[in-house]
Amino acid sequence: MKTIRLSFFQMLAYMRRDRMLFAACLAPVLAGFLFRFAIPLLEAALTDWFHVSAMIAPYYALIDIFFAMLSPAMFCFVSAMVSLEEADEKTAAYLFVTPLGRNGYLAARLGIPSVAAFLVTSVLLPVFKLTSLSAVDIILLASGGTLQGIITSLLILTFSSNKLEGMAVTKLSTLMVCGAAIPFFIKHDVQYALSPLPSFWIGKTICENALLYMLPAFILSITWICFLLKRFLRKI
Amino acid sequence: MRLKSLFLLDMRFQAKHGFYFLYIVLTTIYAAALLAVPESWQEKTAVILIFSDPASMGLFFMGAIVLLEKSQHTPCAFAVSPVRPMEYIIAKVSSLSAISLVVAAILALAASVDNLHIILLGTAISSVIFTLLGIIIATKIISLNQFILWTVPIEIVCFVPAILHLFKAAPAWLRYYPINVCMEMVSGYTPSAIGIFIVIAGMAILFIFSKYCVLKMWNSMGGVKL
Repeated sequence: MKTIRLSFFQMLAYMRRDRMLFAACLAPVLAGFLFRFAIPLLEAALTDWFHVSAMIAPYYALIDIFFAMLSPAMFCFVSAMVSLEEADEKTAAYLFVTPLGRNGYLAARLGIPSVAAFLVTSVLLPVFKLTSLSAVDIILLASGGTLQGIITSLLILTFSSNKLEGMAVTKLSTLMVCGAAIPFFIKHDVQYALSPLPSFWIGKTICENALLYMLPAFILSITWICFLLKRFLRKI
Repeated sequence: MRLKSLFLLDMRFQAKHGFYFLYIVLTTIYAAALLAVPESWQEKTAVILIFSDPASMGLFFMGAIVLLEKSQHTPCAFAVSPVRPMEYIIAKVSSLSAISLVVAAILALAASVDNLHIILLGTAISSVIFTLLGIIIATKIISLNQFILWTVPIEIVCFVPAILHLFKAAPAWLRYYPINVCMEMVSGYTPSAIGIFIVIAGMAILFIFSKYCVLKMWNSMGGVKL
């Protein structure tokens, strides 16, 4: 436990040097203020301008989903970038043969940031939400968002062997969260083409107000995580 | 000859690290998205997609490219080779612009927009500007997180006025802002003569500044000042 804690603090010190720690902590709060206050103002301006009753308002629930995914994406992405640098500089391989080991390394680089992201989302989402979400909705969204963040990190770490490939995979993996928007925009059955994405089911849960849809979201997330983790462990 | 070799080297480097594969996948997704949106939205969506991805890919990837080169000690080799900083910059800019142009052409054709030649010229100019900005930042950073952080203010300064300009929500004087001139061209409109002059002047300044930054990076490789 002590080694995991020390390794996590080492990562924090590295992030603090880059000022990324400050940015990662500040970004969700800034985005929260933007989502909570600027979007309703923008909606008022747009509806006035175009003389329509609503423009963004029907998608407030989608904005809440994206906000729930923001902190985990931020926290997991930043730690994935640190891991990528460590893999690039070959320091990760040395860490595995220390008392920290592979599992300790994963706990320090993926586990603790994910737990932190879940807690931050659970606190910030009730403050900055645009729609009326129950406590259960908030916990489920925070969990779904956190699992999505872990998937993004694992995709980056598994399918890239250096920083440049990491950035390329980042670009592709961020598209995975777009699955949440599909149930809001495509009502036809063709939407199920994106059903392998956990974010699709998170979007469907909120869009159709049916909590049961979180079940496939969790099952798919765990399947993705197990598959990616297995490949990542084989790679390192 | 040296420039051609550097250009081909950069293209091989990009192919090796999956750039072409990435942009084949992204272009397919973007084209599918373009075909899925209502016809009245296609043109604006295509403009936003072209401007925010292929045109600005240099800003997104340059940090990782330069950092990877640093970890492979390539700049040390460049520092003692006859390669000039400007050749290095032109090779980077042109190889990334080539990808931008191909992707932009496919997206513009998918959205059936008019004035393809102006759109491609606008994409090429935007790509040059964003890649040069990427090079300037990349020479000053030591980690990817640092690069991402540095690009945030640049992205805000570049993208917010451009998006406002696209939707005609920006003040009139902002139409001379170089990025907005590029956005106008990516939208298929011919820019004014003053606009073109400002963009060329801006590009010249960025080229000179990036040359200075690359030279400084090469001269300080290996922990000593050459």
